[in-house]
Amino acid sequence: MIESALNRILQPGAITPVYQPIFRLNGGTPRIDGVECLSRGPRGTNFEAADVLFEYVRLKREESLVDRACIAAAFRGASTLPSSLRLGVNVHASTLGRDHGFIGFLEGTAAATGIALSRVVIEVIEHAPSWDGLSFQSTLEQLRQLGMAIALDDVGLGQSNFKMILDVRPDYLKLDRYFVDGCFADPHRRAVITALRTLARDFDAEIVAEGVETADDAATLQGLGITLMQGFHFAHPLPLDAPFWSAAAPSCHSQ
Amino acid sequence: MRSDGGARSERILIVDDEELIVVAMRRYFEGLGYTVDSAHELEEAQALLAKRRYDLVICDLRLTGIGGVEGLQIVSDIHQRSSDTRVILLSAYGTPEIERESYNRGADAFLHKPKSMMEIANVAVNLLDQR
Repeated sequence: MIESALNRILQPGAITPVYQPIFRLNGGTPRIDGVECLSRGPRGTNFEAADVLFEYVRLKREESLVDRACIAAAFRGASTLPSSLRLGVNVHASTLGRDHGFIGFLEGTAAATGIALSRVVIEVIEHAPSWDGLSFQSTLEQLRQLGMAIALDDVGLGQSNFKMILDVRPDYLKLDRYFVDGCFADPHRRAVITALRTLARDFDAEIVAEGVETADDAATLQGLGITLMQGFHFAHPLPLDAPFWSAAAPSCHSQ
Repeated sequence: MRSDGGARSERILIVDDEELIVVAMRRYFEGLGYTVDSAHELEEAQALLAKRRYDLVICDLRLTGIGGVEGLQIVSDIHQRSSDTRVILLSAYGTPEIERESYNRGADAFLHKPKSMMEIANVAVNLLDQR
């Protein structure tokens, strides 16, 4: 019998963080506003692919353990990135609703790695809708009190629906790539984006368009009033040793 | 059976909790030119099946070593997702009831261990060629 895959994933150093820049386009040159911290599982295993890693974790119902491991790896790496960058980290809603030590873990990890919590954006992802709603809301409130912003991931798909928008009251709505890809040529996609932009304004939130892969789609989104974008058109998820970071540092927002 | 090792487009998933069996089957089917992934536990296989498309799954009935029948769960999962994927269940402990149940759930073949690699490959290639 071989070692459990979960044990391998949770080994120190098994999670490799990569960072995908999020750009702000206010006319002129795009500026890096922040990064989304993404995770890759142990090298040479099926879990190196993030989609397989997190599907497995959800099937094992160990979202909280793995969310913590990914955040710890992301914060450790991010301590070398420009301190002006916001850091988006993905957290399952079930972790926020069930892991009563999560806030303490975040504070401790941030302190140990020198990350200011005011830089952190908690990107809420959800695949299993059953969790303690009161505990979830209480955790969100505590995150805000500590200075963190809240984003709702994959807006428009699956569980990230209008109920979640009401429950989370996010600072950022991350528009799923499904609606972004091809919006240049598709009036129906543009109609959905326009509706979500209006919704975001009414919630005093900003839209982040994910999966922007072409200049045409980027220009279309800009024309629709979307200013925050991430995707291969701008930059792939990058390891810390990518030359991009030293070259990009001067163009980061100062805050 | 084709055995020239030329590249083939079909993708195979091998599921077994015994690493030696997984390694041996991987080598054999990769040698036949197939693209092969492998998984060692139920949830790992389910995660791959949720995110990737396979032409054939070769799966041991027991994945925990404590008398489970996880292979039946995998057969059910596959047939909920895709009628295109062929499934071979392998077992050293298969009773007639379990064999019947595996076919009811949609398995394409149920092989009683021990079987040689060539016997398994013969069944696999025939199933793939029938698609």
